[in-house]
Amino acid sequence: MNTRDSRPAGSLIARLTQDQRWIVMLIALLAAELLYFSVAAPGFFGGGSGLLSLTEQFINIGVMALGVGFVIFAGDIDLSCGAMASFTGIVMAVLWKHGVEIWVAVAIALAVSALIGLLHGLIITLFRLESLLVTLASQFILGSVAAALGGGSPPYGFPHKFLSLVGTGTVGPVPTQLIEFAVLALIACVLMHRTAFGRGLVLLGHNRSAATYVGINVSWTRVRAFVLSGLFAGIAGILVAGFYNAARDDVGDALLLPAITTVVLGGVDIFGGRGHMFGVVVAAFALGFATQGLLIQGISQLTATMVTGGLLLVSLAVKLELERERGGALMQRLRIRSAREGPP
Amino acid sequence: MSMTEALPPTPAVTATPARRPPVSIVKRVLQPRPVQLVLVTIAVIAISTALHSDFAALGNISFMISDAMAVAIIAVGQTMVLLTRGIDLSVAPVMGTVALVVGFLAQNHGLTPLEGLPIALLIGVVAGAGNGLLVAFIGIPPIIATLGTLSVYGGVEAIVANGKEVVTLPAAYFNLGNNNVINGIPWDALVGLAVTAVVALALWRTIFGRSIFAVGANVDAARRAGLSVRRVIFSSYVLCGLLAGLGGLIFLAHTGSADSTTGADTNIELTSVAAALVGGSALTGAKGNVFGSFLGAIFLSVALTALVFLKINAEWEPAGVGALVLIAVMTDGSAGGRPSLRALRSMVLHRQTGSPSGGER
Repeated sequence: MNTRDSRPAGSLIARLTQDQRWIVMLIALLAAELLYFSVAAPGFFGGGSGLLSLTEQFINIGVMALGVGFVIFAGDIDLSCGAMASFTGIVMAVLWKHGVEIWVAVAIALAVSALIGLLHGLIITLFRLESLLVTLASQFILGSVAAALGGGSPPYGFPHKFLSLVGTGTVGPVPTQLIEFAVLALIACVLMHRTAFGRGLVLLGHNRSAATYVGINVSWTRVRAFVLSGLFAGIAGILVAGFYNAARDDVGDALLLPAITTVVLGGVDIFGGRGHMFGVVVAAFALGFATQGLLIQGISQLTATMVTGGLLLVSLAVKLELERERGGALMQRLRIRSAREGPP
Repeated sequence: MSMTEALPPTPAVTATPARRPPVSIVKRVLQPRPVQLVLVTIAVIAISTALHSDFAALGNISFMISDAMAVAIIAVGQTMVLLTRGIDLSVAPVMGTVALVVGFLAQNHGLTPLEGLPIALLIGVVAGAGNGLLVAFIGIPPIIATLGTLSVYGGVEAIVANGKEVVTLPAAYFNLGNNNVINGIPWDALVGLAVTAVVALALWRTIFGRSIFAVGANVDAARRAGLSVRRVIFSSYVLCGLLAGLGGLIFLAHTGSADSTTGADTNIELTSVAAALVGGSALTGAKGNVFGSFLGAIFLSVALTALVFLKINAEWEPAGVGALVLIAVMTDGSAGGRPSLRALRSMVLHRQTGSPSGGER
């Protein structure tokens, strides 16, 4: 998929594929950001350890983005991740409050989130419904259940062994959450780009009927993407609960938009079938540091959300414009898209 | 658009191809979504009244209708976007911003609802044009574009609010939003009905309306038929924004208050999509009926009020809307598959060529 534009060999940049060039641009953006905020925002750099501890503020978004990434690669979307994160955190906390050992509670909560992901996938593929619709409805159902479970009194004050591992604990100067993200990112990259499942996912996102004809079980592959999305959103929920040392029924809502922005900024085609998970990883840091830098400079959280939304739109517009330069006009893209929606 | 003049008045694009086996007259009468919705709404009212005699009181009926009107008007706009195969998730902050701007002007300078109308429509059109630009001319998928503008417009709403609230309004607003023309029929229901009728006429009887269906059914065919696809899509978002603005005015009149989270706090973006889907629209485009969306909004209002009467906690309200949406799309035939255990089994057991034996799930 990455070798589509056959430019003549020339400079290093020219030899890169479209996807690789996007990632290089992202890394440059990230470097520029770090440089700018280190100079302009006092306390941002903090001798390096400041930078590292800042990652705790946004790394949960990155985890969620990895999960949504699988679904977007397949040309679907999962709008339920935000609510799923709150829901999983609440399930874990409520179980723990009722005397369940904390790690058992975490395991059960994650199993539940994967199961709900499975349910999403099954409803979408068996009823042949739009993923947008099912996950939109599910987002509100999960939010309600989380609110009902959490009630007026959000559980808080988790045991120390839990907090030191998934909360604000550190190994040397490195936050444990950052290490966990690195592991998850590695798993996601390998799953996406080094397994038959991942290759099948990319292919079916690119052209669903071609995927069917080469013998890929399209439905089941999509279902597995939703399971992963649910599971990663669940992990993000546990990390958020650990970070705040409390489980609230609405913390996840604010993560959905940044997570989708991260995936798109990371260069994954929103119609599916193109991109690289590593781009998502870089984008998580690029978006996260930008938001944190702006917050340190004193803008409000709401303005930060506004910037996130604006960044999502601008990055998409730029990306589409770049592709148009390559000769793929809007209408051509639309036509390719409608051609893709052939028989499943 | 000039080329469209050459089109026959009814293009060969209908929502559903009429290739069904002959059905009995009862089935045919019961088939349209609006009819089903009226029956289901009456059933909900009957059951709730049986459990709680106050439910059918005229005051409550007119309150439920009045309460639904802002959503109904926005759902009509949403329907137009859904018909082109789009979606507009940014209606909530548009509605909220209008309620705030008109509300502040009314509170501080005594603006009348009629004077507020052009302001409301203007804000709606500008916001809708922003969405239309992103979707039709830049080519960003509707769901992502409006998810982005949802947060951008949300920021604008917060800036407009600036930490203040609308609390006291001239009596004219209360009259528009709560008083009845005759018992059981509130004033704002007339506004909603009029808007729905005008949009229905425009969709069914004008070239613009038919081209919305044409674009939703098949973009490629519409373009080959000489339609300016971009302009049609752009206009649908502008009109959706316009109706979101009008919805904001009606909302302000009904509730008499507005703050920085108005719209988002009641999940207007979901509720308006839900009303349209319950009313028979589909995300796959070219299928929908604005009267269905109008009745869908009233049905949602009645069903949620019934929950309150049954003493079910308010936190379950979103779940109720979500479940109703799922039920509506699973039962109206827009779902492409009839799930069976066999389909599930064959899917799970199907061997994938070269699939890793461990399995990642």
